[in-house]
Amino acid sequence: MTPISIASPMAIPPSIDALQIALDRVRRERLRSLLVMLGTLLVLGTMLPWLANAYWTKTFSSALALSVAAAGVGLLYGQLGLVSLCQFALLGVGGWVALRISHGSGLPFELCVLAAGLVSALVGMLAGLPALRLKGLYLALVTLMLAGGFQVVITVVGFPDGGPGWLGRVEGGERLLMARPAVATSDSAYLRYVVLWLAAVLALIELHRRTRAGRSWALIRRGEAAALGAGVNVLLYQTWAFALAGFCAGVGGALLAGGVGQLDGRAFGASESVMLFALSVVGGVYHWLGAIIAGLLLRAVPALLTDFNVNGFLAMVFFGAALLHALITAQEGVAGQVLSLLHRVRARWTAGSAP
Amino acid sequence: MPDLLPFVISGLGVGAVYALSGVGLVVLYRSSGVLNFAFGALGALGAYVAWSMLESGWPQALAWAASVAVAMVLSLAYGRLIAPHLAQRNPTIRGIGTLGFALVVLGFTEWFWGEQPRRLVLPTDAGALELADVRLTYTRVIGLALAVAMMAGIGLLLARTRVGLKMRALANDRDLSALLGIRVLQVDTVAWVLSGAFAGVCGLLLANIVRLQATLLTFMVIPAFAAAIIGRLESLPATVVGGILIGVLEAVAIVVPGLASFRSATPFLVALLMIAFHQSNTRVA
Repeated sequence: MTPISIASPMAIPPSIDALQIALDRVRRERLRSLLVMLGTLLVLGTMLPWLANAYWTKTFSSALALSVAAAGVGLLYGQLGLVSLCQFALLGVGGWVALRISHGSGLPFELCVLAAGLVSALVGMLAGLPALRLKGLYLALVTLMLAGGFQVVITVVGFPDGGPGWLGRVEGGERLLMARPAVATSDSAYLRYVVLWLAAVLALIELHRRTRAGRSWALIRRGEAAALGAGVNVLLYQTWAFALAGFCAGVGGALLAGGVGQLDGRAFGASESVMLFALSVVGGVYHWLGAIIAGLLLRAVPALLTDFNVNGFLAMVFFGAALLHALITAQEGVAGQVLSLLHRVRARWTAGSAP
Repeated sequence: MPDLLPFVISGLGVGAVYALSGVGLVVLYRSSGVLNFAFGALGALGAYVAWSMLESGWPQALAWAASVAVAMVLSLAYGRLIAPHLAQRNPTIRGIGTLGFALVVLGFTEWFWGEQPRRLVLPTDAGALELADVRLTYTRVIGLALAVAMMAGIGLLLARTRVGLKMRALANDRDLSALLGIRVLQVDTVAWVLSGAFAGVCGLLLANIVRLQATLLTFMVIPAFAAAIIGRLESLPATVVGGILIGVLEAVAIVVPGLASFRSATPFLVALLMIAFHQSNTRVA
């Protein structure tokens, strides 16, 4: 996020013209950042399937599906300062819904993804209800307990795989795979498809952040009394943030299910939700780039280490240290550091070219 | 109605460990305001150290002592070196910081000792008390006794001693306590060392009762949080009762048809109910 400086300390109050110019600049900035994001994802979407082999194409699909969920974590933590430790469980909810609908009714993939997002948004909203009364640590604990409960339930219930009955489990037979969208049946086409969804979700969040919702969130973060005083509907916007984060998780879950074809109930422990939060913070919660980095850290970096025969648990040591580093010194995460590096390079570039 | 008593008794063992972990978490939270996510990871590392020492033929007592000492030293190291950097931030961030530490410790343990699950065999497993047709191994009896004894000890320390008073003062207001001349770092040291000792003991017991696997033990901290939540992160007796209650309920759920496979959700369910129940009192945290 490039800082927007509208109100520089001035002795005289700004004139209407100056305000107008500043507002125009904010609008241009908004459009520019949206275009930069879409451009980056366009490059990612075309380059990755072309560069990566079969194994890496699949890995990138999963990683970017998790990026969608990480965007939701970043939204709650970055915009409202709320710690939700149940986002991976919500991702599981989304995956379950998508698989159930896909196997049960054979609806088009896009509708499965949307339904998954909506159900997860609803569940996320319910999970966020305590946040209206509980703050900080207790919210984190409530969500962690929810994630723990989900872990137990999903381990027993499992994910639908084309069987009969409401739970849709195959008993003893071969597990069916979820049908991929008609436009993206091959692995590389599916990676492009995931990038499209990621772009849509990130754009949705970006639009929220830079309009009324974002301003309301910023006020709520300052203090609920202040927000109420400024006429912000705290109930609405806080619940909306949880719903949006849940939507992200649900879409991520559906995309993950589509990529792999089926999900394993044992892979949705509470620890995964904790890792998702930790790596979202490491990636950076104030910028869309952070969500992409978080997804890559979750799936692509461990795969890379396996390629180099490095023990995956050493990555965990690194992640832990990175989390502490992000909390203590680099609060904008890896994304913030990358962006400030780019900024410095550009500054030197322009300084070098100008006399 | 089946006879519940055997299940109640077998649940006491695990319940005692939940209670003990809960007390360890609450003691630290009360004095330094940090909810320690690394509690399980420290216990796991300690248990692995004990396992390695026992494998190479060291005496039992020394291995146990080393295990607890390792957890204490690491806990202190984090408390003195890293926690102060986050001391001015809100309790959530301070808790998440220990999550980073937990990942470092867990990653190291899994890397160093490898993934295959082991079990820590203690000599107290051999003997057992026969209570209502249930064999309650001495390890579980000791766990239960330790939970009660350590809770009583900590309770006395906090209520009756000078350092306990200082710990409570710190919990109330860190800056004000410092202004009044309390040596914040000194009190912090006591709290972190105590919490580390609890982690070490819990790690040993869980490595014996459940199994010795670092990831599993690290995230056993999540049900332990449930016990601490029942104590509202401040009351030690309520935490102990809560922990034991969770353990017993989890064991009793075996006899309820249809619920048996969901029984490990008990801690989370109880904690959520408790939060809903005393919601009005939890706003401050």
